Amino acid sequence: MVPPIIKDLFKIKKFDISLALFVGIMLTGVFGSILYNVNPLAAVGPPEQPPSDRFPLGTNSWGRDNLALLLSGIESSIYIGLTAALISIAIGVTIGVISGFKSGLTDSSLMLVTDVVLVLPSILIMMLIAAYLKERNPFFVSIIIGLTSWPWVARAVRSQMMSLKTREFMYMSRMAGLRDMRIIVEDLLPNMMSYVFMAFVLLMSGAMIAEAGLSMIGLGVTKGTSLGIILYWAQILEAVRRGLWWWFIPPGVCLVALATSLLLLSTALDEYFSPRLKGG
Amino acid sequence: MSLDVTNLKKVFVVGLFRRKEIQAVDNVSFNVKPGKFVSLVGESGSGKTTTAKMILRLLRPTSGSVIFDGKNVWDLKRINELRWYWKNVHAIFQDPYASYNPLHKIDRILYQALALIANQNTEGDSVVKKALTEVGLRSNDVLGKYPHELSGGQRQRIMVARCFIIKPKLILADEPISMIDASTRASVLQLFSKLKEEYKTSVIFITHDLGLAYYISDEIMIMHNGKIVEKGSPEEVMDNPQDPYTKRLREDVPLMYSKWIGF
Amino acid sequence: MNTLALGLKEVERVTLLKAEGVKAYYSIRQGYVKAVDGLDLVIDKGITLGVAGESGCGKSTLMNALMMNVKLPLHLIEGTIALDGEVISKMDRSMLKKKIWGVQASMVPQSALNALMPTKRIMDFVRDVIKHHLNVTDSEIVSMAKKRFEELNLRVEALDLYPHELSGGMKQRAVIAVSTLLNPKLLIVDEPTSALDVSTQKQVLKMLMELKTTGITESIIFVTHDIAVLRQIADYIVIMYAGKIVESGSTEDILHDPKHPYTYCLINAVVTPEPEVRKRGLTSIPGEPPDLINPPGGCRFHPRCVKAMDECGSVEPVLAKFRGNRLVACHLFK
Repeated sequence: MVPPIIKDLFKIKKFDISLALFVGIMLTGVFGSILYNVNPLAAVGPPEQPPSDRFPLGTNSWGRDNLALLLSGIESSIYIGLTAALISIAIGVTIGVISGFKSGLTDSSLMLVTDVVLVLPSILIMMLIAAYLKERNPFFVSIIIGLTSWPWVARAVRSQMMSLKTREFMYMSRMAGLRDMRIIVEDLLPNMMSYVFMAFVLLMSGAMIAEAGLSMIGLGVTKGTSLGIILYWAQILEAVRRGLWWWFIPPGVCLVALATSLLLLSTALDEYFSPRLKGG
Repeated sequence: MSLDVTNLKKVFVVGLFRRKEIQAVDNVSFNVKPGKFVSLVGESGSGKTTTAKMILRLLRPTSGSVIFDGKNVWDLKRINELRWYWKNVHAIFQDPYASYNPLHKIDRILYQALALIANQNTEGDSVVKKALTEVGLRSNDVLGKYPHELSGGQRQRIMVARCFIIKPKLILADEPISMIDASTRASVLQLFSKLKEEYKTSVIFITHDLGLAYYISDEIMIMHNGKIVEKGSPEEVMDNPQDPYTKRLREDVPLMYSKWIGF
Repeated sequence: MNTLALGLKEVERVTLLKAEGVKAYYSIRQGYVKAVDGLDLVIDKGITLGVAGESGCGKSTLMNALMMNVKLPLHLIEGTIALDGEVISKMDRSMLKKKIWGVQASMVPQSALNALMPTKRIMDFVRDVIKHHLNVTDSEIVSMAKKRFEELNLRVEALDLYPHELSGGMKQRAVIAVSTLLNPKLLIVDEPTSALDVSTQKQVLKMLMELKTTGITESIIFVTHDIAVLRQIADYIVIMYAGKIVESGSTEDILHDPKHPYTYCLINAVVTPEPEVRKRGLTSIPGEPPDLINPPGGCRFHPRCVKAMDECGSVEPVLAKFRGNRLVACHLFK
């Protein structure tokens, strides 16, 4: 019942470890927020308390529970990472497929657009958009990141399309009179799925880091919280200098762990798929 | 059926700044009659595969025309016109692995061909089974399998089975046996003869193998540097070549029944 | 164990390579692929031996075993190999590198053309080969290379070029020239001309013959599936099937009077532009190539053999003398 490819992937140690790490942190965030029923944004105790029985990670400068903030932040960061990655993948794959398949003028114009977006300094664009939107919920932040991260995906997908286009099985499908769309969906996309999946994982990793980056310059979410926001406040309120480690070390570690586990996952996938792509 | 290739040219332009022109196919003309085997013989780079792709309407010529049954193939634009063309003119490629999408079962290669013939889904299964029997394969042995689970010989036979389903008037076979074992080559060649006998199918063999061309063709055309340098029956080409390239080819081909002089 | 002796008249026979009981397997997850499974071979000096068979018959593996180029997952399970009297199957890799490879025996493997480092010129490859074995100055190396290239009618300018700047044929000839710089007694070439057009192929074959006439090398083993080529250059031919030798003899005998059913089919599957081929027709062999992890019992060819008898399925035929220096492994010819 389980496709052999899934079984094979789970045999790779790197895959298992990185997936376990990521899912572990994610589930901690999701179930943790439910089990640890404290409103992260409410003042529930005296400010800047060190860890204790009542507040396992202490409180921040507004008396908010750091552990509740952390759990909520994990959920939020993963949500933003996931959504931004989905947006980028959707745009990147669509443009890459059309560009690679059609070639000619369509290809040139699409690649021009891609190159422009690629070259624009994404941080500045994100800053501009973010500064313009006074109220920024996690979805908006995802859109901002998603709209600026897709060019490399488009280029890579386009190259794959162009090389697949001249494989003989393509000719066989064309000569069977199949329409273009059907050829793209049945023949080409399946052969690119492995790459798209890897790209998705990488995009997610990058998006979570980008969110932290935006937050660190004060342009993160304004509603709710995220790992980046926690770190932002920790930095602004000099928690680092004052050694209030319980405030910034846990979210920092979680962010790094999440991003790194995804990167590891993508290398595990790459190792698994690459020899196959070459071997054929 | 008639195929008329007239003054076919293909120029590839490479390079971004210093545009270089490569004359892949240079003024190729020939025609093919029903039930005839014709070989286009040339070394790699001679332009034979490019010519084949242009005839199959997979690559646009720089100039010249390909006229099939009175219609210029590049005038055919709508999907039903294209389907008509490919029902009549089909291809078998060299690499029995690359001709299959590795992620699909081989059944797809056969079933997708049903779209080109009149009766579809209801009798599809029996049509496919019959075609497999014609090429000497048992449905149970090959249906439901992925390309990598079958041998090169089996894969190539399935390609020929596809032609037994479609029954095209003309097949372009690009090195159809060069990548399969010597022991199975003769049986795959026999399948082409079977198509010729039963359906008067014409075949254009694209090959570098002069021996194959000599053995199976009614007419041989030698291609060199994009041009056809010699045309004639196998005996004419081997016994009395006119072109220096053909003469050299004939001298350099290793033979079984005579030895090279001075070796 | 019957040794296969190919060579000159009884009194002039000088053995160059003697291999006995060679078993070379590849270890994979499902077990062992028995690529070469119990094989004896003797090659005399001054001979061009053709080794023919279809893909998967074990010919390339055999060449690696003869050269003692046994890297995982290939294992030399059993066997003794002696080159010019010296037993090489017991030598370790560093010994082989120092004393045998390039010096006594050289092999140009199948993908040699693609294995050339694109950032090195041909002259650099020459240096690699010579410096490893001889203690000479660079200018001496250069003059050695030039001299050898001239001797073999190769353009001396090619020495200063990169591999990608040479045509396929020129590359192959350069590789062969560099491999034989130190005059190894035995040269093994594995499918050297399969990717070349016929005219270039003839040039390369001509050069191989010259290596022998000039005395640069004494014996050549030519591995190929192209029997027509062997007809032109080989003195003796060995036919392999599923890791075993099924027949051997002089080129004339094998081609015009094949005895083993497999040999017979293989010869009659060759297609050359000759009227005799048209008259004779082409044969094909039914069935599929054998599974080398679990090869058929008895004679490995029996499932596909039209002349198979009862004992062929259970008793493995021994490679035995048929007539003169012909050996056949078939129950039909005991």
